[in-house]
Amino acid sequence: MSTNARNLALAAAGALALLTLPYWAKDLYWLHLATLIGAYWILIAGLNLVTGYAGQLSIGHVGLLAVGAYGFAILAGTHGLDPFLSLLLCGALGGIAGLLLGLPSLRLPGFYFAMATMAFALIVTELSLALGGLTGGGTGLSVPGFPSPMNSPWGYYWLVLAVAAGVTWLTWNVARFMWGRALIAIRDSEVAAASAGIGLFRLKLTVFVFSGITAGIGGGLFASLQSYITPDTFVFEIGLFFFVCIIIGGRGTILGPFIGTVILTALPEIVAPLAKLGAFFYGLMLLIVVLLIPEGVGRLVEVLIRRFRGEPHRSHEVKPDLPRLASVLARKEDAA
Amino acid sequence: MLAVIVSGLAIGAVYAAAALAYNVMFSTSKVLSVTTGHLFMLGSVFGAWFIGTLGWPIPLGLLGAIAVGAAFGWLTEIVAVRRVLARSDEHLWLLSTLALATMGQQAVGLWWGTEPRPFPRLIEQDFASGLADQKYWLPIGLVLVLALGLELFYRGTLWGKLFQATSEDAFAARARGIATDRVRSFSYLLAGALGGLAGFAAGQLTFAFFALGLQLTLFGFIALAVGGLGSNLGALVGGTALGLLSSVASYFFGGEFQHTIAVGLLMVVLLVKPEGLFGAKRVRPV
Amino acid sequence: MSALEAVSVTKRFGGLVALSDVSLDLRPGEVHGLIGPNGSGKTTLLNMLSGYYRPDGGRTSLDGEELDALSVQRRARLGIARTFQKPRLLPALSVLDNAMLGCWRDTRAGFVETAFALPRARREEKAFRDRAIELVHGVGLGHALTRSAGLLEHAEQRFLEIARALAARPRFLLLDEPAGGLTGAEIEHLGRIVGTVRESGIGVLLVEHHTDFVFRICGRVTTLDRGRLIKHGTPDEVRRDPEVVRVYLGA
Repeated sequence: MSTNARNLALAAAGALALLTLPYWAKDLYWLHLATLIGAYWILIAGLNLVTGYAGQLSIGHVGLLAVGAYGFAILAGTHGLDPFLSLLLCGALGGIAGLLLGLPSLRLPGFYFAMATMAFALIVTELSLALGGLTGGGTGLSVPGFPSPMNSPWGYYWLVLAVAAGVTWLTWNVARFMWGRALIAIRDSEVAAASAGIGLFRLKLTVFVFSGITAGIGGGLFASLQSYITPDTFVFEIGLFFFVCIIIGGRGTILGPFIGTVILTALPEIVAPLAKLGAFFYGLMLLIVVLLIPEGVGRLVEVLIRRFRGEPHRSHEVKPDLPRLASVLARKEDAA
Repeated sequence: MLAVIVSGLAIGAVYAAAALAYNVMFSTSKVLSVTTGHLFMLGSVFGAWFIGTLGWPIPLGLLGAIAVGAAFGWLTEIVAVRRVLARSDEHLWLLSTLALATMGQQAVGLWWGTEPRPFPRLIEQDFASGLADQKYWLPIGLVLVLALGLELFYRGTLWGKLFQATSEDAFAARARGIATDRVRSFSYLLAGALGGLAGFAAGQLTFAFFALGLQLTLFGFIALAVGGLGSNLGALVGGTALGLLSSVASYFFGGEFQHTIAVGLLMVVLLVKPEGLFGAKRVRPV
Repeated sequence: MSALEAVSVTKRFGGLVALSDVSLDLRPGEVHGLIGPNGSGKTTLLNMLSGYYRPDGGRTSLDGEELDALSVQRRARLGIARTFQKPRLLPALSVLDNAMLGCWRDTRAGFVETAFALPRARREEKAFRDRAIELVHGVGLGHALTRSAGLLEHAEQRFLEIARALAARPRFLLLDEPAGGLTGAEIEHLGRIVGTVRESGIGVLLVEHHTDFVFRICGRVTTLDRGRLIKHGTPDEVRRDPEVVRVYLGA
């Protein structure tokens, strides 16, 4: 119970810190950065279910981000729709794009799927250049903001924070209930998953479509934050970045990828030379993690804490409790 | 129209060569390396640097390009494949080769620049030679030589036979005393040399461009999947089909839909024949 | 007629005939042994019943309804659960979570219900947790309930797989060499668990090499050799059969 209480206290402190960030952030630039992290996180939280939980390596989610971003720019900008309605439509658009991408590719082996997502990202860039009438081609589009009070940096930060918190809550629920176990089973043993009756393709497709929705919404918020988008905004390296955040943070957790997102977004801003190295830095981090700690940094911290606390004496003796077994087998319960 | 076909054949030859390189590495390791396209990129960039910038004679530049490609292939095996294969987990080799490919591409981008640069002429020829230009027939000729050479290598040499034994059943090969680790290392070295050579030969067509790597990793893979994983004939057919299709489609619709069309081809083939045109049906593992 | 059946099934892998015209029926509330030398087709038959292979000849059925076209998942949902020769657990999850995975068969809460933590998802979670806790204690892993499955010893993994299979409330349980690698005392425990499972009305198929164990706890035994059925009957009949003695038990 004490660890629970402490976790709760930590979570409350974290939430408070995030809520009050506009009051203690050094300047507007940091607030902008925090908002950017929030917009990225909305996408990454959804992608985390696909990659961190179900183990499907999507390296082209930037394509879905671009779909949401252009969708928002066109709906709210070109057509002058209400920004909130546009944002919802961006989610739908992202979900449909996710469905179209996932349907043919999620049945294929892992490498095929990864290549398909990468190709998708390149196709989106290609189309955004080709369909100039809609997207402004290489010149790009300017993106409108949200109405007051969301038109100030503070207001917009809170909007993004609220959406990010909501998405995080949704993924946390998926992760902690039966779906989370089923997704991890798909990741770690398709054979075991199938024998438990888990429809592999149906679950993969469901979370992939969900990740499309969050990518669409994240894309809309991202575009509005940037206020101007061009095809160059959505280079393939950003897709790689999303993916690396999750792998480095650790698969099968939510906090790990979140910390990964914060650090990987903020680090190049703090340490200037890293920004110059760009994707090289992401590649290097990825290589180090894969070779040395394939479970991710989050997992490593967990193991270290456990080791530091010391392990209680472990028994390995199997002692069946047959009356208990008989009584649970005799239950004629239906599912709840 | 003839120009469209010739240029399609030439770029198709590059895709086919990338598919061949995939096959060489896949046969001994069952790994599809994301670094495949980068072997070609290194061949063309370093070829251009050796000859164009450093002023090396062409044969020396060629050897240098092959050596750089081979070195990167070997590095792929040592850094990204050898260690993770022990863990027998598909996602790990995908990640490690992706990481290495990203680092390689970005390093070249930082050093060489992100703009495509021209590749020097290899043979005295008028620039107005049109369809007979070396930039077309060098890659086409080379990929045929490479495919033939690989076939002779597999059939006719001891190392080739070791490759095949490892490819068919690595476990049994090890049991028969074949040092499968060394065979695998050698296959990456070979694929690297092949990539360096082909990248060099196709340099005038593709330019010396840092982003060529990822591009060829994707298009080479599409050629491979269309032709059938593991089949060299399939690699040739798949690469040629992809090259011709891109080229013809660009002629009719403009060059903006390259990826869309390539992926469209892949999807159609995978729907009709999931194992590719010349691929072996895989038995379902339990 | 209530039974899980294979009727004259044949399975070929390339040129190799793994099963040839083999029949077997598994009834509720019985323990049915399946024995034979290595490579005789025992696991192939089990894989066929659980849906990993389609028969090349003959058919598989449940209560007389043909199963051949059904996927592994569909069969699991019809109440056919199994364990594996090499335990396939999820090392990243706790023992309890691994056991709960078996409850997927009863999960009705869809993605949206789950994501919004609607009442059904919560209710199911609680019921499944309770069921899995009882099963984990029942098979003797109460000491390791919250332990990561990756830290379990071999015997514990085997028992956890049984708990996971039972969490699906199966009608038929297919065990693939469950006694492999267990100590004598652990095999005793296994025997009692299988007995308890049988008494609850579940039909158990036991693919096993420990013939003493099989003859002790099975009501009927089927013997295979090189893909053919060579003897089917009570343990006593099988044990005395000269052909079984010659190819498998040894003189």
